[in-house]
Amino acid sequence: MNMVRKLHKWASVIVGIQFLIWLGSGMYFNFMDHTKAAGHTYKVHQHPSLAWNTLTLQEPADVLRQYKPSTTLSLIELAQKPYYLLNHQRGLYANFVNKHSLVDARTGLPVTLDVDFAKQLASASYNGPGEIVSATLLQPPISDLLKQKNPVWQVNFADEINTSVYVEADSGRIAGHSDDDKRLADFFLKLHFMDYANEGSFNSALMMVFAFIALWLSGTGLVWTIDLALRGQYKIKLFARKTTVKLFDRNQKSLGQVAFSNHKNLLDGLVEHNIILPSTCGGGGTCGRCRIMINQNVKSTAADLQHFSAFELEQGYRLACQHFSDDVEHMTLMDITDAKKYQLELVSSKFLSPFIKELRFTTQSKIPMRYKAGAFMRFFIPEASGCSVPLDVPELLQQDWQHIDRLNYQHGACSRSYSLAGIDDTTNELVFVIKLQSAKNPSVLPGIGSNYLGNLRIGDRVEALGPFEEFYASPGSDKTMVLVGAGSGMAPLKALIEEQLALHRNNKGDKPPRPLHFFYGARNENDVIYVDYFYELAKQYPHFHYYPVLSRPDKGWLGATGYAQHVLALNWQNVVEQGEPEFYLCGPKGLMDDTIRLLRDKGVPESNIAFDEFS
Amino acid sequence: MNKSMRLLKISRKYHKWLMAFIGLQFMVWSVTGAYMVFFDIDYIHGDTLVNNEQDKIDPQQVTYSLQSLLQHYPQAKAISLGRYLDKVVYRFTLEEQKLAIDANSGKVMPPLDQAQAEKAARFYYSGAGTVESAELISENAPFELNPAVMPAWRVNFSDFGAPAIYVSAETGLLVGKRHSFWRLFDWMFRFHVMDYDDGADIDNSLLFWFTMLGIFASVLGLVLAYFRVFRKADEALLAPDSNDSHVAGVAR
Repeated sequence: MNMVRKLHKWASVIVGIQFLIWLGSGMYFNFMDHTKAAGHTYKVHQHPSLAWNTLTLQEPADVLRQYKPSTTLSLIELAQKPYYLLNHQRGLYANFVNKHSLVDARTGLPVTLDVDFAKQLASASYNGPGEIVSATLLQPPISDLLKQKNPVWQVNFADEINTSVYVEADSGRIAGHSDDDKRLADFFLKLHFMDYANEGSFNSALMMVFAFIALWLSGTGLVWTIDLALRGQYKIKLFARKTTVKLFDRNQKSLGQVAFSNHKNLLDGLVEHNIILPSTCGGGGTCGRCRIMINQNVKSTAADLQHFSAFELEQGYRLACQHFSDDVEHMTLMDITDAKKYQLELVSSKFLSPFIKELRFTTQSKIPMRYKAGAFMRFFIPEASGCSVPLDVPELLQQDWQHIDRLNYQHGACSRSYSLAGIDDTTNELVFVIKLQSAKNPSVLPGIGSNYLGNLRIGDRVEALGPFEEFYASPGSDKTMVLVGAGSGMAPLKALIEEQLALHRNNKGDKPPRPLHFFYGARNENDVIYVDYFYELAKQYPHFHYYPVLSRPDKGWLGATGYAQHVLALNWQNVVEQGEPEFYLCGPKGLMDDTIRLLRDKGVPESNIAFDEFS
Repeated sequence: MNKSMRLLKISRKYHKWLMAFIGLQFMVWSVTGAYMVFFDIDYIHGDTLVNNEQDKIDPQQVTYSLQSLLQHYPQAKAISLGRYLDKVVYRFTLEEQKLAIDANSGKVMPPLDQAQAEKAARFYYSGAGTVESAELISENAPFELNPAVMPAWRVNFSDFGAPAIYVSAETGLLVGKRHSFWRLFDWMFRFHVMDYDDGADIDNSLLFWFTMLGIFASVLGLVLAYFRVFRKADEALLAPDSNDSHVAGVAR
């Protein structure tokens, strides 16, 4: 099957565009007007007008004697006059090479078809409104009549479709009409037949090669479809059953039972439970990213074979996109650790600064959530109505909100991720620090997620999935830790600092504590959050250094002024005093870019920089 | 899921489902199309079955005058003079009837009998095989014979491809040449334009709907090919929606 899929891919790359051209031109043939497409719009169906028996004609035998030997002699009528048409060389069809003599049947004298005669014959075959504008003798190949192998007179008429009438030069036969409608049809024929060299034929080598590859494209597609069908990948929602599957994280910790509908593959089924496995191919079995482990007895598919070793397959490794819940009893998610859906209940919501709130939630779960500091949770924001100004802005902060217009709006459901600022040791409350994003201009909505959460009332519930651990202290390291952040980017850094201080408390004695430097940027005294808390920590732990930096301080500010990254540069000697530090950055893009540039200039290896960017 | 991933997933889903319904016709199109382009069209037309003899008229044999003919048959139309084996004959139409008269004697040629038809067919036929059978067709023309040329003799030869030469019973002229490759081609064409009920032609609505869905399914297929070839390992596909706020990792 892998070969089939590969062939299908490459065949489609080669003939894909031409395939569409075939279909498109085929569509044209399907609804074109056949009279028009044949060029017959202004074609006269001519009837003979002469009564031969009333005419005095030369005897055929006498005529034949005077000309080259003939295969046939025909008595014909051209422009109401009698002629003998002598054929000296016969082609199988009229448009094939033929040699004729045209003879006046009354005199027996040869007639040459000159321009005037050609015009006369063309006019007799034409019933349109146009006048003749030109007449030219053409040798084959003739672009309007690619099959015509004999010289013809092209007589052009001035009408709205540019009719050309073709008169065969040695016989006077009307070889054909052409006009813009026929030329369009010819154009589509050329596309359909890939007659890009104007040979008037579909037997070209190019066409054969493409036809051959197209055969493979369809053939492999058919095999693939049958394979999909045999593997039960065609399931209709209507007849779908629900099956329950036990979920485990990669540490074999239970994530509970989840119901899957068997008409969707496991990758898509997990999405419904808001578990999004990595995938760059979207379920085609080609990227091999959506790894799961299921019952070993589930038959592996070609895609599984491609992405797993025999040993892995034996253990039950499979790709989620290739399987359905039918035969699956348990499933281990390889890329998810402990992530789980929680019903969070808000227990506290308070302003830390005019636009930053601290929210505390309980998990409704008896087992405390375990997480690595720096992790985030994904909140499922339901469809709701929102307001651009929170209802609980305290008196003191009212003036900061004055310039924001009160706007009520409806928003759809979405999901938003927020870093955990910590879990309270005593209450097991999850702490989040969320900045209420206001709209940059009146035409856009303010931040849907932050305003929804910021407006929750005590006791309100919201669903969240997590924790997702992508930003965390490198395990086992005792290097100096430098944390740089700004605004609500404080959240994961606060968690990291608390985690490190807790480690230090539990590990009294033997090891010297690792130095922690925390550079935190804010605009002014109003914006800087947890300032007293961190000053207190700095007093308590001599190895923790706190550098609040204000970009636009009020007059009374005694601390550093400017941007956090600049103050980091000024304190570089302190920071590197005890060897190569590790850097943890979290904040707006500008701060991150600046800091990373600074660190690069200072020669910090990239592996020592971890970041968590938010927008 | 970001927009690209959504597009990819939708393309995969509908390509899969559409092709389940119309995929067989794609196979038919490819097979019939390949047949039609692989065989030279002149060969299909049977041009190689006949030798296209350039036999010339000997004026000495034309002793019966055109004048006499027109006196005898004043309504004669489409008059021509040509060879019939070793004779020269006038051929013309009289009302709906086709006639041939000997250019020497002026006698009406009776319709060809089987022996004459076989002899004429043998003369036109280029192959080396022998006559296998002959049959006079006067009504109910088979699909490979133009009904306007009836009555005609179908003379079958023993060669590869079951060649048949059609000779007009009235004029002795070659009026058809067919072999299995033509017959197959004709079927191929019908299947290619989905002329399954034998009544409709290329403008049938079945073809319209299949082509319509086919275009849609092919565009989706191209989207899939694009993603698989050009964005095979594109990590951006993994990124959450742009309004999702977290991107974490190690600095690059």
